Amino acid sequence: MSDRTQSGLVIDGLTVVRSGAVVVDAARFAVAPGEVVALIGGNGAGKSSLLRAIAGADPVRGGTVRLDGRDLSDLALEQRVRAGIGWCPEGRRLFPGLTVEETLDVAALDDRGRRSAAIARVLELFPVLSERRTALAWTLSGGQQQMLTIARALVSSPKAILLDEPSLGLAPVVLDDVFAAVARMAGDGLAVLLAEQNVPRALAVADRVLVMRRGVIALDLPADRLTPEAAVLATLDASDDAAYEEAEQNLER
Amino acid sequence: MTRRWAAYTLLLALAAALLALSGDAYLLRIATLVGIYAIAAIGFQLVFGRLGLLALSQGAFFAIGAYVLGLTTTVWGWPPLLALAAAVIVPAVAGALVALPAARLETHYVALATLGLSQLVLLAVTNLDVTGGANGLYGVPVLTVLDGEIADGWPMLLTVWTGVALALGVFALTVRGVRAARFSTLRDAPHAARALGLDPIRARLTLFAVAAALGGLAGGFQALGLGVVSPAVARFDVMISLLAIAVVGGRGSAWGAIAGAVVLIPLPELFRGLEQAYLLGYGIVLLAVIVAWPHGIDGLVRRWLPDTGPARPAPRPPSRPAPAALRVEAVTKRFGGVQALDRVDLVARPGEVTGLIGANGSGKTTLMNIVSGLERPDSGILRLGAVPLLGRRAPARARLGLARGFQHPELPSDVTVLDAASVAGDRAAGLWALDRVGLEALADRPVASLGPADSRLFDIARALAAGPSVLLLDEPAAGLTAPQRARLSRLLRSLADDGMAVVVVEHGMDFLLPLADTLVCLDAGRVIAAGPVDAVRRDPAVIAAYLGQEAAA
Amino acid sequence: MIETALIETAAQLVVTALALGSTYALVALGFVLIINAVGAVNFAHGDLVMAAGFVTVALVTLLPAETALPGLVLLPGVMAVMALVALVLAALAYLPLRKGPPTSVFISTIAVGLILQHGIQLTAGPQPRVGPPLVGGGWVEGGGLLVSHQQIATVAVAALLVAAVHGLLHRTRFGRRLRAAAQDPELARALGINLAVTIAATFAIAGALAGGAGLLLSHQYFVTPTDGAGLMLKAYIATVIGGWGRVWGAALAALAIALFEVLVAAAVSYLVAEALLYIGVLAVLMARPRGLFGEAEGRRA
Repeated sequence: MSDRTQSGLVIDGLTVVRSGAVVVDAARFAVAPGEVVALIGGNGAGKSSLLRAIAGADPVRGGTVRLDGRDLSDLALEQRVRAGIGWCPEGRRLFPGLTVEETLDVAALDDRGRRSAAIARVLELFPVLSERRTALAWTLSGGQQQMLTIARALVSSPKAILLDEPSLGLAPVVLDDVFAAVARMAGDGLAVLLAEQNVPRALAVADRVLVMRRGVIALDLPADRLTPEAAVLATLDASDDAAYEEAEQNLER
Repeated sequence: MTRRWAAYTLLLALAAALLALSGDAYLLRIATLVGIYAIAAIGFQLVFGRLGLLALSQGAFFAIGAYVLGLTTTVWGWPPLLALAAAVIVPAVAGALVALPAARLETHYVALATLGLSQLVLLAVTNLDVTGGANGLYGVPVLTVLDGEIADGWPMLLTVWTGVALALGVFALTVRGVRAARFSTLRDAPHAARALGLDPIRARLTLFAVAAALGGLAGGFQALGLGVVSPAVARFDVMISLLAIAVVGGRGSAWGAIAGAVVLIPLPELFRGLEQAYLLGYGIVLLAVIVAWPHGIDGLVRRWLPDTGPARPAPRPPSRPAPAALRVEAVTKRFGGVQALDRVDLVARPGEVTGLIGANGSGKTTLMNIVSGLERPDSGILRLGAVPLLGRRAPARARLGLARGFQHPELPSDVTVLDAASVAGDRAAGLWALDRVGLEALADRPVASLGPADSRLFDIARALAAGPSVLLLDEPAAGLTAPQRARLSRLLRSLADDGMAVVVVEHGMDFLLPLADTLVCLDAGRVIAAGPVDAVRRDPAVIAAYLGQEAAA
Repeated sequence: MIETALIETAAQLVVTALALGSTYALVALGFVLIINAVGAVNFAHGDLVMAAGFVTVALVTLLPAETALPGLVLLPGVMAVMALVALVLAALAYLPLRKGPPTSVFISTIAVGLILQHGIQLTAGPQPRVGPPLVGGGWVEGGGLLVSHQQIATVAVAALLVAAVHGLLHRTRFGRRLRAAAQDPELARALGINLAVTIAATFAIAGALAGGAGLLLSHQYFVTPTDGAGLMLKAYIATVIGGWGRVWGAALAALAIALFEVLVAAAVSYLVAEALLYIGVLAVLMARPRGLFGEAEGRRA
């Protein structure tokens, strides 16, 4: 059993079943404060499902989610946010009628005094957003929109943050900014769980890597123990033999 | 035909036998009324269930049918049979006229527009002199067919139920085969449908006209049955009854409409003496069913006696159009103060994969939308081969050979993968296309159950079944695993080798660079580089604006 | 002389139209609030207003006959009762269906409207009833115009509540959270917003607004069980013309509709006014499929 007083995000035995199929199978790992853990795996491996389950967006079959020793398993999505889990779901999902500032205001927690301080702090972290604070969310560029979704999750001052494919659909030049933001968050002491398809980028920023295959966390390693090539191979579904061999040959070349 | 049909027919025969045994004239009248409402409700199912539009005008068409019959017989002395034909044709024309504006509206506006129309009909028949005002029209003659009078009781009952059988036949014809999947695609995936060459306006015209014709037939029968036409036929209560019948019977199902009418129409008789109290009953039943039992009676029956699909045809490729190049010349588009596209040129040649790259907001998706006809440019020229495209709507462009895959494919909710893939061609072509993208094993699954990667492949298959000469894809590889990317890459290469012009918008350079023959890079709405892949990827402007140093290396 | 008389008549008509338009605006207000905050069309809203009129009439019997300001005294009570009724409506007809297609809620609220209309007709009878005035039944005369206290009260209350609802939705954090919850419920929860609370608050406020509207209407125009559909239709038209989901747009459109109705009715007939109104709506929708002024929230991804 994991230590009940362990700080950071501690997941134990988390299992998700959707229409009869096990999509997350007894996931067990921890993310310490200040640590970036990359979650990699193919499409349908269960990364999003695992993040959704930790956030409380989907019902689980079993297992626990703890944050700094507190058991959050019985809390609903909106209660887990207040307990300190920030969740950035896949896709940008902005509120089109709200400005940058209003978006952050809506997302901040209820205490009025702490709210303006939190917004100021987040805007400091993302100077681009500070410049465009009165712009409507949908007028932002793709990269700025992604920054806003991350800022939105940060403004409730979470202790752990779950990022679901923040690089999706972004131009290569914008990726630098996004991953720099990920590193800064960890620097501020957050526990960061980062689900990514862009394996090389994720490895570059992560301390540890979880490789997920068919709902199972197959590997849990320090990031420097895994080359990007090996990591990509590890995410492949072993049942797809032809593709596996082909990819292996490509790597050897 | 199916076991479900057999079960319903058997139940109806049983009801008829019981009716004959009882010999009660009052019950006969109610059974006739059930048939009348069933006809109108079957029509309503086409628009409400299949188009998914809450068009509250079916009651108005019912009223128009009744008044047309009343006017032509009592005022102009037409023979009743001819009048009945007019009672079908006039509402059908009116329905087609309503469909044109209603076709462009979203649900909350469709409801209001059709409600306004119903109010107009009610105002007209209540206040015009020609319709007899509040008194209505009296002395509608008895229906005569070949000099034989169709009297009240069994003759009228059988005539009306022959009309029900006719309505069932018309319904089945309207949604037969792959057409049902086309209507579902138009309803649930409107953008994809247009890009596939499905014409929403034609579909809506057809369904509105057929629905209104059935509403008019029912109204005509009502007038014949009662011998009078009063403004009561135009009251909103009729529409409420039809809506309740459709929901209780099961949305979109013709047999459901009959079942709903059988259950609900006798209800007022239970509340006799308490004037409008049956509507209170309808309210309670309607609320209970839509909350607890959303698929209605037919949904339950379907669970017990599921329909089996038709036999699979042999896969056959669609007829391939002559190879043609897509040419975009000086296309310009502004959104408010933003220059989305500034004199953009692009040529996609047959046999080549053309990559379109650029940062988010650089105009790639706008360009794709303009090419496929979902948006209009401010100026510029578009040609497919020698054919200019700008004057044509999206469905017409699709039929010329332009196909498009979407970044987030829209999927119809209630059809199989095979049927949904066949909407732009036939089932043989659909099966061939599924085989081509590697989804043939999933052909009989509901298309809504596909995961994100498979639905992307499905979206490409559905475009291929149309037999396009140009294929446009928007980030097809995003979210795919490495083996899926490899398979997609091989597929696109082989399509190009077959003579197709393939245009791919993509951010994944590891996917695009080995695949593409030529690259076009957009930045802030302008083409900053175009040409062979190796030249474009080393272009300093492209590196600065988009690729960054790492990807260019 | 004839000209002065004509101007006076016209001015009197405008006063009538202003009061009528204010009641339409009051009806539209609760309807628009629900569109904004939960993204649903509540087709029973007109029947809620009608029910509020009957609640008012029923509560009057509880007051001692010599009460000076019967309407104003009853207002909080009627608003509270209607807030409760709207909460029941939400629990029965909205909550179970909120994840389904939008037409489902449309139909379930049509059902609730039927239940309210015919339930009240069965218990209270079909005859018109009259409610108490808000601030006494006097008249103000000036410049040849005759304006009742009730008309002034109606316009004042309508203006006040329209401003309040607009302010609530756009100027307060609570209102922005309501709009956020309507646009993306799951994401709103991910930001710590409790959906049950926002939905309940929305329906309660909309019910209270219906309460105020019903009380004002019940004195000025009487109330009968069949009123709901007609009121709903006017509020619906105002909402579409004013821009789907726009509070001020709906209020101004409500005034415009009333002005149109009153003037055409005076010049030709009420019947022609009604017919032209519906034809006008059809024409607007044909020319501008998203209403005259577009929708409130740009639906851009």
